[in-house]
Amino acid sequence: MMSFSFPLRATALACVMACLPQTGGAWAQSYSTGHTGGRAGAAQPVSFSAEQVAHGAQIYAGACAMCHGADLDGGHDVPDLSTYFTARWANTPLDRLAGYIAHAMPLMAPGTLPPQDTAALVAFILHHNGATSATNAPLPMEEARLAKFRFPAPITQPPASGGKP
Amino acid sequence: MKRRDLFAASLAAGIAGATRRRGWAATPEASAALGRTALHGTIPHLVPIRAHADQIMDIKVCLRPFRPAGPRMDVERVAGKTVVHNYGHGGSGWSLSWGAAHIAVGHAAATLERRVAVIGCGIIGLTSALTALRAGLDVTIYTRDLLPHTRSVRANGSWTPDSRIALTQQAGPEFAKTWEQMARYSWQTYRDYLGLPGNPIDFRDNYTLSDTPPDAADHAPTPTDPAKGNFATTGAPQSSAEFAEYASRISDIIPAPELLAGADNPFPVGYARRTPLMIYNFGAYGHLLLEEFHQAGGRIVIREFHSPADLADLPERVVINCPGYAARDWWNDKSLIPIRGQTSWLPPQPDAPYALEYKGAAMISKSDGVMIQGYDMYGLGEMDGVGNSFEHPDRAEAEKAIGIIEDLFTRFQPRNG
Repeated sequence: MMSFSFPLRATALACVMACLPQTGGAWAQSYSTGHTGGRAGAAQPVSFSAEQVAHGAQIYAGACAMCHGADLDGGHDVPDLSTYFTARWANTPLDRLAGYIAHAMPLMAPGTLPPQDTAALVAFILHHNGATSATNAPLPMEEARLAKFRFPAPITQPPASGGKP
Repeated sequence: MKRRDLFAASLAAGIAGATRRRGWAATPEASAALGRTALHGTIPHLVPIRAHADQIMDIKVCLRPFRPAGPRMDVERVAGKTVVHNYGHGGSGWSLSWGAAHIAVGHAAATLERRVAVIGCGIIGLTSALTALRAGLDVTIYTRDLLPHTRSVRANGSWTPDSRIALTQQAGPEFAKTWEQMARYSWQTYRDYLGLPGNPIDFRDNYTLSDTPPDAADHAPTPTDPAKGNFATTGAPQSSAEFAEYASRISDIIPAPELLAGADNPFPVGYARRTPLMIYNFGAYGHLLLEEFHQAGGRIVIREFHSPADLADLPERVVINCPGYAARDWWNDKSLIPIRGQTSWLPPQPDAPYALEYKGAAMISKSDGVMIQGYDMYGLGEMDGVGNSFEHPDRAEAEKAIGIIEDLFTRFQPRNG
């Protein structure tokens, strides 16, 4: 079922090495990208299917886990795909995330994931980060349709009250 | 990893291999990796340590914030705030600090709030605050004390990532994975501080010494007395065997011990091994972290909290909570068990940059002093100091530990050249 296997340790190492610039210089700016702090406007509630999540988990295990880790927690030199990832992508239209995965990942073989695998990975990442699906309708593969959804911001925003401005 | 067990394993493997001596019990699994003997000529000339009780310049006592289930790192809503907890790292706070900070700040960042309060400025609070700044957050530390006064600085300051960090049973298998994530992340972050002016982070050759062979009774794991029960039945740990050991999970990146062959062994003991040990020079490292925090725009507010309700006054809506042992009082966390530890400090000996362990006493020659600690002088193993909240210096204990090192060097014959 897995679409990819990368048996060479050298390619895994190349992946780790190539990831370095993404986190090595993350002194101050990473938090400001990907979201504006505002709510997601008129975006539709995100939907993805359980089958997509299961398929995405398989793609992830074969193509992504060797760098990003089985638990999506990344590492010292590899971006995580959970808490920090959520902060970077919250409120961003999902066509950008799918587009990024499609043209940049996996690092040792970018551009090799077919659209259905990319959509499944997005569904898997959303699910892993606690997003709930509005219906069991699958996440679309086409960018124009994906653009109508946004990466969900955390559900429990701190309330406006409770502190001085 | 328990020091005594590792010692036994390493010696059994190496000496059994060298002499083909029969009759020793089967060695632990780790022994295969510990069988290498130090290359002849790689033991440097060692200047004796001037360990005398009349040289004491300071005695420090700390209470390790031990939680049987492991550190508290969950997120909860308190007083209108999102509170990310980061406390209770037992005897492993320094070692796991960067990894724990990485996890805690991730939770804070995921709230999408830009402003974050960090409570406490021990090593957990300071690394959490720096990590938050590096993630692009605006950070204010609220603390009663700064680093020279916090309990953190009363540690011995060496890489001990699974020292009284949890009880195996109570922490469960999931925590082992979290521990590994923290330990690996911390280890890699510390490498960034090696080789800097003032050596904030450094390495020492640590010599583990014994008069007795590895299969002697004094190297056996501390026996468990079933009549005493365990944490599940008594509400308190009762034996060394209950304490978690995770070090084997990261043995691929931690330098392994080497055995010292008899002719190369400079110490007046029968058995010795050498292990590179990462150490934290508190003065240089603490000042450096504070400098980095201020340079990156962090703010410090001196403030004491008495109850979680006090958080409501803070302007920040996200709080990373790093109170250490104080959580027992102001967060009413009665799961925290104090584990007393005492270190004595003698004048620095930059001419003797090494460390050793002998008869339950440890010595580390650091830039800010020669540290001597009796970590297991009474055969209690991991139970040493458990439940003891006597946070005052015990001069007699200090002199006993120094006496062990003094006795060793009374018999020490430095090699020529």
